[in-house]
Amino acid sequence: MASAIVLILLVILGAPLFTIIATSALIGFYNEGIDLSVIAIEIFRIVDTPILLAIPLFTFAGYVLGESNASQRLVRMTNALLGWMPGGLAIVSLIACAFFTALTGASGATIIALGAILYPAMKQAGYAERFNLGLITSSGSLGLLFPPSIALILYGVIAQQMELEQSVTIDDLFLAGLLPGTLMLVLLVAWSMYRSVGEKIPTTTFDAKELVSAFRESIWEIPLPILLIGGIYSGYFAVSEAAAVAVFYVLVVDVLILREVTLKQLPTIMRDSMVLVGGVLIILGVSLASTNYLIDTEVPSRLFDFIREHIDSKLTFLILLNIFLLILGMMLDVFSALVIIVPLTLPIAVGYGIHPIHFGIIFLANMQIGYFTPPVGMNLFIASYRFNKPITELYHATIPFMLILFVAVLIITYWPALTMSLVELRH
Amino acid sequence: MSTTNNKIISFINRIEDGLLVLILTSMIFLAIYQIISRNFFSEGLVWIDPLLRTLVLWVGLSGAVVATRSDKHIRIDVFTKYLPGKILPYVQRTVYLFALLICLLIGWHAARFVYSEYEYATVAFAGVPAWVTALIIPVSFTLIAFRYALLLISPEIKKPHMDVKS
Repeated sequence: MASAIVLILLVILGAPLFTIIATSALIGFYNEGIDLSVIAIEIFRIVDTPILLAIPLFTFAGYVLGESNASQRLVRMTNALLGWMPGGLAIVSLIACAFFTALTGASGATIIALGAILYPAMKQAGYAERFNLGLITSSGSLGLLFPPSIALILYGVIAQQMELEQSVTIDDLFLAGLLPGTLMLVLLVAWSMYRSVGEKIPTTTFDAKELVSAFRESIWEIPLPILLIGGIYSGYFAVSEAAAVAVFYVLVVDVLILREVTLKQLPTIMRDSMVLVGGVLIILGVSLASTNYLIDTEVPSRLFDFIREHIDSKLTFLILLNIFLLILGMMLDVFSALVIIVPLTLPIAVGYGIHPIHFGIIFLANMQIGYFTPPVGMNLFIASYRFNKPITELYHATIPFMLILFVAVLIITYWPALTMSLVELRH
Repeated sequence: MSTTNNKIISFINRIEDGLLVLILTSMIFLAIYQIISRNFFSEGLVWIDPLLRTLVLWVGLSGAVVATRSDKHIRIDVFTKYLPGKILPYVQRTVYLFALLICLLIGWHAARFVYSEYEYATVAFAGVPAWVTALIIPVSFTLIAFRYALLLISPEIKKPHMDVKS
C-alpha cells in the first residue's frame, strides 16, 4: 500500500511512465518470490510479436510524409474536390486532418503541420476565430480510428496478449474503425455546414480545371492509401508488409522523384521518429511484465467480480466506462493509456459480453475526445502554443466539437453493429 | 562540465544516433527484400523474419535511449506544469534519481538473464545465440541510467514542455 502511494506520487511529479510500470511489476514479482530477471524475459517477448514491425515502419513513413509538401497537396486536392460546398473549407480541414493523423499517429503533429496552412486560410475565408480554432484543435486527433492508425495496431498487440476467446487481428481492427471514424467525420461536417450557412460564408464555385491540376500535383500520393488498403484486404500482403511497402513508396516518391526530402535529412527524420517509437516500445516492454503479473495474480478477474457486485447491467458498465476513459484521455496520451489500462479493463468488458474489437474502438474513440477535453487535454496546449492563444480561449472554442464527438462516442458505444458489421461481413 | 567530458558525450551521442539509423535502415532493406523475394521468387530467406523481429526490439530500445537524452519519455505532466519554478529542479532531480535507480536495477537483472541464456547456449535463429539478441536489454537500460545520471547532474530546466513527439 505504501509503495502504491509512493508510485502515484512519483507519477504526479512527472516520473517517466515506463519506470513506474517497471517498478510496480518488480515489486509484484518480488512479493511473489519470483526472480527479478523475469522482467528482462518479459521485455524480450517483444521479439515474439511479428506485428510490432509495423509500428517503426509506419511511424517513419509518416514522418517522411510530414517533412514533404504532402500536407499542402492534400489540402489543395480536397479543396478542389469539396471546397465548393457550404462550409467547404471546414470540410476540407476535417478530411485533410483525419487523413494526416491516420498516417502520422495522433501526436500533435497534425495541428503543427496542417494548422499552419488551414488556420490562416479559414480566417481569410471569413470563418469566426473561435470556430476556426475549435475545428483545428479537435481535428488534431481525428484519424485515430482510420488505418493505418498506430494506436489501433498497438491495441491489437495488447489484446492478443490477453489470451481471449475471440480473435483480434489488426486487419479486422482496421475494418472496424472505418464506420465509427466516418460517423465522427460526418457529424463534424454537418455541424460545419450548418455554421457556415448561418454565418453566410461565401461559397466558391467548382472549378474543374483546378481539380485536374490539383489531381496532377498529387498524382504520387493518391495511389498510396489505395495500395495499402487494397494490398491488406486482398490478402496480398500482411499489415507489417504493408508498412514496409509504405516506407519504400514514400522514400521513392519524396526523396527520389519529387526530391522534397533530401538524403541528408533522412538520418534526422529516422532519429526523431524512432525516439517516438522507443518511448512507446519501452512502455510496451515493461508492461508485458506488469500485465503478466496482473494475469497471474488474477487481478482483472477479481476486479470483474468486484464490479459485477455493484453493476449488473452492461449499459451501466458502458456509461461508467465512457466517463472513466474520457477522464483518462485527458491525463494520458493514447499509447500509455492503451498499454496500462487495456489489460485491466478488457477482460472486464469481455465479461460483460462486449466484443474485444468493439471495446478497442470505444476505447480509442473516447481517447480521441480526451485529447482536447479541458482542462488538460494535450492538443489544447499544443494549439495554444502553435496559435499563440490563451488556453481558456481554446476551452471555449472546442466545446461544441467536444459535444458533437461525444454524441458520436455514445452512438459507437451503444450500437455495436456500427463497428462490427464490416468485420462480420468479411468473415 | 569540462570540455573533454562534453566531447565524450557528443561522441556517445553520435554512436547512439548512428546505431539507430543503421538498425532502421537495415530493417527497411530487409523488409522490402523479403516482400520482393516472397512475391517474385515465391520464397523468402527464413532468417529474415526472426532477425526483423529482433531488430524491432533493438530499434525500440535504442530509440528509448536517445529519448532519454532530451528527457522525452512519456509521462503525465499535467501537474508539474503548475509547480512553482523554485521547487521544480528539486522535483526533477528526485524523479531522475528514481528513474536512474530503477533502470540500473533492470539493467542488472537483464544482464543476469543474458548470462543465463549464454550458459544454456540457447539459439535464437540461424545459429545466432539468443544471448546476443538479448544483449540490447541490459545495454540500453544501463545507457538510460547513465543519461538520467547526466540529467541529475545538470538537469535540463524546461518550460512546461510541449510534450511532443513532433
